[in-house]
Amino acid sequence: MSLSDKAKLQFMKDLGFPALASLQKAMRGKRAPRKANPDFGPPLKCTARLKEIMTRHYYLARFAPGAKPVAWVTSGAPVELLRALDFYTIYPENHGALCGAQKMGPELCQVAEDEGYSADLCSYARVDLGHMLSGKTPAGKLPKPDLLFCSNNICQTVAYWYKVMAHRLGVPLVMFDTPFNYTEISQDDIDYMVGQVKDMIPVLEKAAGKAFDMERFIQVAELSRAASELWGQCLETMKARPAPMTIFDAFVHLAPVVSLRGLPVAREYYEILLAELLDRARSGIGAITNEKKRLMWDNIAIWYKVRDFSELFASRGMNFVAATYTNAWAETIQHLDMSQPLESLAKTYSLVILNNNLEHRLNLMAKMVSEYAVDGLVVHSARSCKPYSLGQYDLKRLLSERLGIPAVVIEADITDYRYFSEEQALTRLEAFFEALEAA
Amino acid sequence: MSMPSIPSRAEHLEAWRESGGKVCAAFPAQYPKELLWAHGVLPVEVWDPPLAATRAPGHLQPYICSVVRQGLELLLAGAGDSVDLILFPHTCDSLQNLASLVGDYLKPAAPSLFFYNPKAPFKAPAREFYLDQLHALDRQLAGLFGPRAQGALEQALEWSRALAALHAKAYKMRALGELAAGAGEFYAVLRAGEYLHPTALIPLLEGWLAQSAGSASAGERIVLSGVLPGPPDLLESLDVLGLVVGNDDLLSMSRRLLTSPPGTGEPLAALGEVFLHMPPCSTRGSSLEERLAWIKGLAGQSKSKGVVFVEVKFCEPELFDLPELRRGLKEAGLPSLVLEVDVNQAAGGQAATRLEAFREMMA
Ligand code: SF4
Ligand code: SF4
Repeated sequence: MSLSDKAKLQFMKDLGFPALASLQKAMRGKRAPRKANPDFGPPLKCTARLKEIMTRHYYLARFAPGAKPVAWVTSGAPVELLRALDFYTIYPENHGALCGAQKMGPELCQVAEDEGYSADLCSYARVDLGHMLSGKTPAGKLPKPDLLFCSNNICQTVAYWYKVMAHRLGVPLVMFDTPFNYTEISQDDIDYMVGQVKDMIPVLEKAAGKAFDMERFIQVAELSRAASELWGQCLETMKARPAPMTIFDAFVHLAPVVSLRGLPVAREYYEILLAELLDRARSGIGAITNEKKRLMWDNIAIWYKVRDFSELFASRGMNFVAATYTNAWAETIQHLDMSQPLESLAKTYSLVILNNNLEHRLNLMAKMVSEYAVDGLVVHSARSCKPYSLGQYDLKRLLSERLGIPAVVIEADITDYRYFSEEQALTRLEAFFEALEAA
Repeated sequence: MSMPSIPSRAEHLEAWRESGGKVCAAFPAQYPKELLWAHGVLPVEVWDPPLAATRAPGHLQPYICSVVRQGLELLLAGAGDSVDLILFPHTCDSLQNLASLVGDYLKPAAPSLFFYNPKAPFKAPAREFYLDQLHALDRQLAGLFGPRAQGALEQALEWSRALAALHAKAYKMRALGELAAGAGEFYAVLRAGEYLHPTALIPLLEGWLAQSAGSASAGERIVLSGVLPGPPDLLESLDVLGLVVGNDDLLSMSRRLLTSPPGTGEPLAALGEVFLHMPPCSTRGSSLEERLAWIKGLAGQSKSKGVVFVEVKFCEPELFDLPELRRGLKEAGLPSLVLEVDVNQAAGGQAATRLEAFREMMA
């Protein structure tokens, strides 16, 4: 790492980014405010802070090379190991969601497809490969990684995708293999994962150019735990009626716990978000003005439709108050126990929803339906995501039968809207609305 | 050479059951079949059952591959209730979820067992874990079917050694052009190993190899890569068009069959080494460098001039590797062709036309 690059990064942190943020704020001030939609309650004040945090993260990323080791990381990987070594981390999945929300999915996917990548591959991967090949991104510029860090606790797809990136970029790939939890986690599974962590530390140290310090790791893990717990508490505020936030908000406010977990900024952010949500709940301020029905969402967001769907459902007095997706970054954090740092890290990361069996998912969803007083279920069958989607038809059937709530499946994709038929989705949703309203 | 007489799946299963044997429906791809043999269980592999998919589409989205769809169709058509066991090795996301869907939601009469294959790189923790998995499976099988007989695992390893030698011989003869059998025959015989017990398979292979020594037909030699050899019409097209398969890099074939035979040490440890020494494979997490070197080696050994990738539609592990493999092969002077197939559908005339054009391009 060079001193001048470190100085440059520090300068951008202290002066460069604050100056840019003030400028952006001034420009925003000049713009006419967006007309308020009467279906929604007052917007969350925290959103401006969230934007600032995420813009800062992507802005400073371009000054990270040379100043800090840079890693590209999968959303479910035990990033605490990297944070303890001071890596600057980029989450291609978060970047994929950003591209999806900005409706850049098909354009970037096409670049990857022109290079020979099948249109049937996960579109986060295609977006990322498209970005790598074209340099296009709504985030300005992403720094080239020194290391790729991947865990298959969310899917095997990331392992294939990161392998391609490692080959193309010529950088080392560190893989954390988490045995799928078909029934229950065994001591053999835990020993295997702990063994891998011990084996990977020297590789991470080499890329970082510094020694791993267990005390520092424990501090980071505690920050991580705090952020995830606070995030879980933020989600729990949606048990209030009316719920102070919608899942569409949560899809956006999820970014720090995914991308900045283990840093003080993530914990601080969720402290202020939680305070605001509790305040709204106490004051009876709902995310939507007329919350008649409460819904649950299964699977990743349809990023290019977040706003449209949020308006559509709000106009019907329907609020999403729970989602398996947003819950995933809070669900297993209670396992993180600093008296057994590596064993508990293995449990925390391998028991996540996508590495867990479908019986677990069914029971979890049934519990959420009851705790959040859910009236109906919307299942996003995401063409990109086999591990999230295969099994959903039966999951929907079993939940409907068991709990007697209406449910609907929408066939779509997370970022690639070429695979979304608005007409078909709206037809299915109309039938769902009718069933809900009649219930 | 004429095709040897191979007992059909149904005949063999019936005879096996009549002798009091148990049957396991084994899903793709790698699993320690020796342990099943040692427990008196016949693994019958489920890759591409030729059934009309009528029930499975109610449980699976259309973007799930046909191997998973056909496998589920078979279980729903009754196999799930008639076998004694269903085994799901961990191969890919789709098979992982299929296993959970069957085990947790559909619950056929046969019990399901799951077997996690660790992913590359296979360092010490992976080796230990794999051995733990073998012990766990051994215990589970003993729980279901009683303890294995004295010496049964040693006997199973003997069969495994004999089969490894026969497979290696078949591949070598083919690569050197010393096997007088077309693609259709080669795969029909070797795929009998998906259901024949070694006591039937070993003599079949020995007899066939002895009778098939001879010159391979002339033609442009290729390496076949992908998951499965087929569909059948595609193999026929290869034979008709004079495209000679000199080697293959198929998940169901050489990526499992060309492993080192088990050693003679402690039986389960020896079995563990078999898995760890299998050729590079997308589903095992092998690097692109390893895969590329392996395929180039296959082409070199067999003097093949090109590679035909026959990919199952929606198969992520294979499709991710494809562009870089093709690029690397091209740089090595090996052109390639990609055909996407559904396992239960004919590849069709268009595939034949593309194969013909590919042959002309290589000539
Ligand atoms: S969308 Fe699904 S398949 Fe794609 S990276 Fe995320 S978890 Fe993996
Ligand atoms: S064809 Fe590919 S995706 Fe389908 S089961 Fe086999 S490895 Fe998995």
